[in-house]
Amino acid sequence: MRQFRFVAALCAALSLLIAVPARAAVNVVTTLPDLAALTKAVGGDLVQVQSMALGSQDPHRVDAKPSLALALRNADLLISVGLDLEIGWLPNLQTGSRNPRIQVGNAGFLNASQFVRLLEVPATKVDRSEGDVHPGGNPHYLYDPRQAAAVARGIAERLAQLDSKNAGTYRANATRFVTELDAARAGWEQRLAGLKGVPVIAFHRTTPYLADWLGFEPIAFLEPKPGIPPNPSHVAQVLVQSRQRKVRMVLIESYYNDREAKMVANMIPAQLVVLHGGTDFRAGETYIQHINEMVGNLEKALTAGKGG
Amino acid sequence: MSPVSRRPRVALVVASFLVLLSTASASAQESVPSPSPDAGIPEPDAGADAGSAEEAPPGLTPEELAEIEKAFGGDTQSGVPATTSAPPTATPGGGLPLSIPGSGSGTNLLDMSFILDLAAAAFTSKEPLQGGAHDPSRNGFNLQQLELSIGSVVDPYFRFDANIVYSQFGVEIEEAYGTTLALPASLQVRAGQFLTRFGRLNPTHPHAWDFADQPFALSRVFGGEGNRGLGVELSWLTPLPWFVELTGSLTDATGEATARSFLAASNDRVLSPLDLQATGVVKQFFPLTDDLSLMWGLSVATGPNPTGYRNRTDLYGTDVYLRYRPITEASTTLVTFQVETFYRRRQVPKDVLTDFNGYAQAAWRFSQRWAAAARYELGTPARGENGEVAEDPLDPEWTKNRDRISANVSFWPTEFSRLRLQAARDHARWRDEADYSVFLALELVTGAHGAHAF
Repeated sequence: MRQFRFVAALCAALSLLIAVPARAAVNVVTTLPDLAALTKAVGGDLVQVQSMALGSQDPHRVDAKPSLALALRNADLLISVGLDLEIGWLPNLQTGSRNPRIQVGNAGFLNASQFVRLLEVPATKVDRSEGDVHPGGNPHYLYDPRQAAAVARGIAERLAQLDSKNAGTYRANATRFVTELDAARAGWEQRLAGLKGVPVIAFHRTTPYLADWLGFEPIAFLEPKPGIPPNPSHVAQVLVQSRQRKVRMVLIESYYNDREAKMVANMIPAQLVVLHGGTDFRAGETYIQHINEMVGNLEKALTAGKGG
Repeated sequence: MSPVSRRPRVALVVASFLVLLSTASASAQESVPSPSPDAGIPEPDAGADAGSAEEAPPGLTPEELAEIEKAFGGDTQSGVPATTSAPPTATPGGGLPLSIPGSGSGTNLLDMSFILDLAAAAFTSKEPLQGGAHDPSRNGFNLQQLELSIGSVVDPYFRFDANIVYSQFGVEIEEAYGTTLALPASLQVRAGQFLTRFGRLNPTHPHAWDFADQPFALSRVFGGEGNRGLGVELSWLTPLPWFVELTGSLTDATGEATARSFLAASNDRVLSPLDLQATGVVKQFFPLTDDLSLMWGLSVATGPNPTGYRNRTDLYGTDVYLRYRPITEASTTLVTFQVETFYRRRQVPKDVLTDFNGYAQAAWRFSQRWAAAARYELGTPARGENGEVAEDPLDPEWTKNRDRISANVSFWPTEFSRLRLQAARDHARWRDEADYSVFLALELVTGAHGAHAF
């Protein structure tokens, strides 16, 4: 009798352990919160999504915390931005996770950059005298909702492949999301139509996709070269250039120290626009809300610039 | 004459091979969707037909194929361009529309990097007590090391990593090992020559260190090259809800500049499994907050020593690593605190020697480019069973405590280069007075610099 009770308790405990991950069909870990938000939009309740980095974090410099390897251990799918953005921290975690599914080359690893129309792909041989360049192209493509739509569809296809039972749902979700995003995009484009041709300066080279989408013109960067902190002579040069070209905005990601950017914006004078590095996925923000906030910030700067 | 005429032939062979390959892959794509999942590596031609490549499922059941075909149709119906096959519209940003073959990330098969460590050093002592093989150890210029790191995934089952170290007059295989990628039950095996995972610093390389030299605890207990060996390691990531990793390894207890407390360079050979060094490590990680994390390790190693028949050495260590790095706001601050202690117990003829070594260090990166660090080290003489100072067969002059205080300032022009000014006061009590040293170290990293472990 006692033995039976023990076995029953053991079975109960085991089934509990097994039952927990069974709630969602696919366990997805993404490197960045924007990818997590897109996955959630496409996967809905069928996926459990976790982002390794926070939106407030510089995606170039994430610590390879062992707890992240732990998250990857149980992942069915790992989605990365690619283009060497995560080169400094992801490979070790992948190996450390001991999870064969998410290794490069397997179906559980998805490099989202394959869905993107890449910008700033060097046409010639590059070396690091140009700073921290990405030889595969600029990786900051998720600032452009058109690219995000393509990525969302790509994610849906991969989810459909991994969880063929629910393939229809993933594709329907993706279509619904893209429709929603397109509708929102039309509104955003209307609100920011005034940005077309406007010269702006930015801190880091995160702007090409945003500029491609909205049509503004990034004429200079506060970083003399990607990854190299601003120095006085370069900043002075940018300032002169900005005044000549009548720059109205200074863009900076929220994860950079805005000291120099603020100073330069005051001196031009121009509006300082802080772009959140990523969706605040943990607080439940969606990708559309994230871009909407960014558009709001840009719009505010645009109208303020006109008034002043 | 001959090299000139041979070259076109080689080119011809390569070209025809490439043509063969491309036709083969093209026909494979036409007949059946490629069985290998593309897994996000953009093939050189992925830009052109990523749509079809991305559809290829790993299993090829007819239902799945049908579903994929349906989806492919669905995509075109919805009018939204699918994936990269989206026709490039006008590019006001002036970017290049498509990636060029061979330059795309992920297409490189082998990650290679070269790391150069140089130092100019000045010592007050004619015979500095620097024990590490990569330490600046003499007045003037020192080539600490030139490290060639090569790493790559071999196949779905293994990855391969090697660190080959060039010193001024020689080459050395520091590490060369395979790591399994597909063992079940969160198990992983490493086989080859590797730095054993005893403690925190031992498994790392100089470019991951906060100081230009290694703590003397490592060179005293393990040897100039730290503890490494040819062998095999099994590690297990436990299913507990926090990070708990158990590692066990068996390595050769011999070597020129390693396994110093074991057989090291003595003439003893491995005759039975008991003559190998066995190492066991438990690592636990606690993400206390988003900004603050704690890693705690316990390590044990045991193996034979050459002082007599079946005489053994046991090592016990613990390491604590506290890391504060704000990620919830814009910040480049990084503060780390690290302590490691080593307790060693050696059977020698008619006695058991014990000694203690340890260090504590703190580092503060206060801007993107600047950091400062300080370290305190302590080593006791070997004591016998009765507590009296005994003669240490490895360090006969080490009859009293030794402590060393080091401090440095680091400057990173970029994350690929580093300049470091370090000063130390080394007080070995068996010497008449304390020794002082100053280093100016330069480090250059080029190539595909691999990721660092936490």
